Amino acid sequence: MNIIVFIKQVPDTDKVKIDPETGTMIREGFEATINTFDLHALELAVRIKEKTESKVTTISMGPPNTEDILRQSIALGADEAILLTDRFFAGADTLATSVALARAIENIDFDLIIAGERATDGETGQVGPEVGVLLGIPVVSYVSKLVEIDKNSIVVERSVEDGIERWQVELPALIAVTRAVSEPRLPTLSGKKKAMKSSVKKLSASVLGLKPEEIGLRGSPTRVSKVFNVKVTRNVQMYEGENLQEGINRVVEILRGYVK
Amino acid sequence: MKYSKVIEEIIQKLIEIVGEENVKTEKDYLEKYSKDETSEVKPHLPEVVVFATKTEQVAKIIKLANEKLIPVTPRGAGTGLSGGAVPVYGGIVLSLEKMNQILEFNPEDLAVVVQPGVITGEIQKLAEEHGLYYAGDPASSESSSIGGNIAENAGGTRVIKYGPTSFHVLALEVVTPTGEIVRYGGKMLKNVMGYDMVRLMVGSEGTLGIVTKITLRLVPKPKYLSTLLVPFDSLENSINSVPKVLSTLGFLPSSIEFMDKESVKMASKFLNEEIPNMESPAHLIVEIEAQDKDSLAKSYMKLGDEMMKNGAVEVYIADNRHHREKIWKFRKAIAEGIIAFRPTHCMEDVSVPISKMPQIVLEAEKIARNNGIEVLSFGHVGDGNMHVTFLKPPEMSSDSWKERLENSLVELYKLTAKLGGSITGEHGVGVKRRRFLKIFMTEEEIEFMRKIKKALDPNMILNPGKIF
Repeated sequence: MNIIVFIKQVPDTDKVKIDPETGTMIREGFEATINTFDLHALELAVRIKEKTESKVTTISMGPPNTEDILRQSIALGADEAILLTDRFFAGADTLATSVALARAIENIDFDLIIAGERATDGETGQVGPEVGVLLGIPVVSYVSKLVEIDKNSIVVERSVEDGIERWQVELPALIAVTRAVSEPRLPTLSGKKKAMKSSVKKLSASVLGLKPEEIGLRGSPTRVSKVFNVKVTRNVQMYEGENLQEGINRVVEILRGYVK
Repeated sequence: MKYSKVIEEIIQKLIEIVGEENVKTEKDYLEKYSKDETSEVKPHLPEVVVFATKTEQVAKIIKLANEKLIPVTPRGAGTGLSGGAVPVYGGIVLSLEKMNQILEFNPEDLAVVVQPGVITGEIQKLAEEHGLYYAGDPASSESSSIGGNIAENAGGTRVIKYGPTSFHVLALEVVTPTGEIVRYGGKMLKNVMGYDMVRLMVGSEGTLGIVTKITLRLVPKPKYLSTLLVPFDSLENSINSVPKVLSTLGFLPSSIEFMDKESVKMASKFLNEEIPNMESPAHLIVEIEAQDKDSLAKSYMKLGDEMMKNGAVEVYIADNRHHREKIWKFRKAIAEGIIAFRPTHCMEDVSVPISKMPQIVLEAEKIARNNGIEVLSFGHVGDGNMHVTFLKPPEMSSDSWKERLENSLVELYKLTAKLGGSITGEHGVGVKRRRFLKIFMTEEEIEFMRKIKKALDPNMILNPGKIF
């Protein structure tokens, strides 16, 4: 079985800051790292590989230094890594990114694509499903558990607000996974050595036959009109001393409401 | 020593000094300030809790205490692990929590000046925002205060490379046990003007003075970090690999931590998470620092290869934040797990030469077995400090536990002393270990320290009942 995993390079921070003037993300001062959700996606792929003799290929689109995190993916168990890198890809929104990724994947023999639920920088969660649609294959998002997989189909559980859905879909398919799907392993010394020796395959827009107007900023219909921080307003109520019992009763009341 | 009671007249004088809002006699306060985080130390109620906000107030309170013969127990954030902040003779607990300002940040001098109540983690954060590093890093840095770190000469996980708290203190303002305000040291590393009073104060457990202003040394912040998790085929190999590996590396890791199998299980239970090779007899955590990615990779490859030659069964390398945090979270969960699942325990802090560490861990297992109690060990292999922790079996009666624990401690301490070690590496003697000091020191050695105490604190009002 051939499995493809999407990898994104993101700034290494939990606190994404937006420049209020330009509406773009402030990336300066942060090291680049693998998007955490993608580590979970990769882990799932490697676990399938260990059971079914599969091949895992990671793919990313980004500047040349993205090679670094793709090597990390090899250290974690991927067999091959592909990087779409070209100045024409720059400034892409989720659609332009999906167009480029879908084109690259069309040329690869694959059975399953695994994407992380979303990236910790853009937070859209769109690229995975968009690529699936462009490739015309089934898409299951918010996958929290892999139940079964064989040559022809996959059974997964999908977390939704009120519970869990179980889906069986034919392969090839794309699944976008939540963190619950697997706990990422730590890279080993031998994995790191393998990664150091391996090479990352680089593809440009022209090699993929993509025109500048289809990709990058020119191929991106999304326009950011305004970015702002949502103000969270909480109404804190303090119960102390004599009022403590009242506070406890209130907590019990709230919890009972949840159980119902 | 005969002390006086805190009568109404004294409360009024304290209110005159610090204001009514900073003098507390309510039961809730007295109870909260009767203990710290030490297990196996009985709480003791103070008669009054006083919060100082200025150095001059501290001086006035100490003068008053001398005049009236009231014991004073200084206190930081109350996270101590030897009972140092427990007011064993009652009297005044003098809290420095409200003196919590960062007074000066001087990157041009590689220094920061702070009040004692500042939480250590805040100093670390400030320094790091400016590309610098406050390298003192006790495991409690998120909750302990810098004043407390100084009183106990706190250590932590980076001591092998950066040293304990004393290595980072450049200058101190101190209120003496008789109420004078004195200042020693300056914003420079070299200074041999008279006795090294700064070093005398650091680690004096609040018995020789109350620190009211602290100048700390900052160093460049390391740019890249990598954390290695290394399971071993045997406990001896895990520790014995350390000096062997260090002598071939050509650089010093910033941390080398040890966890025995039981410690790993404890952390795993607390977090409901596993790490690889849970069944290994021992795991090491090694952290290294570098200024660029290539040298970082070279360093961990070399370190990993050397570990594999010395009994490691695998080497896991975390070089992104996600993986690094996962490993450190696991290490820090050991103590949390002990508190949560085995509240009746006794965490020890012995320190021995590195080559003797396997013996300490293995003998502690024997001692516990012979006394019918349980034990786990974790600690800082890089600096010889091992937290042997005795645990009460759930079904054991409290009297039986007390007796067995006492026997186990005496055996552990005697062995530690024989191996050339110390009863405490970073937690302090405090109340908890004072009765055992004789196992490690001669009468003359203890008396020599007592002479210093008596000379500086003739009325014995400052933190009595601690150390000796």
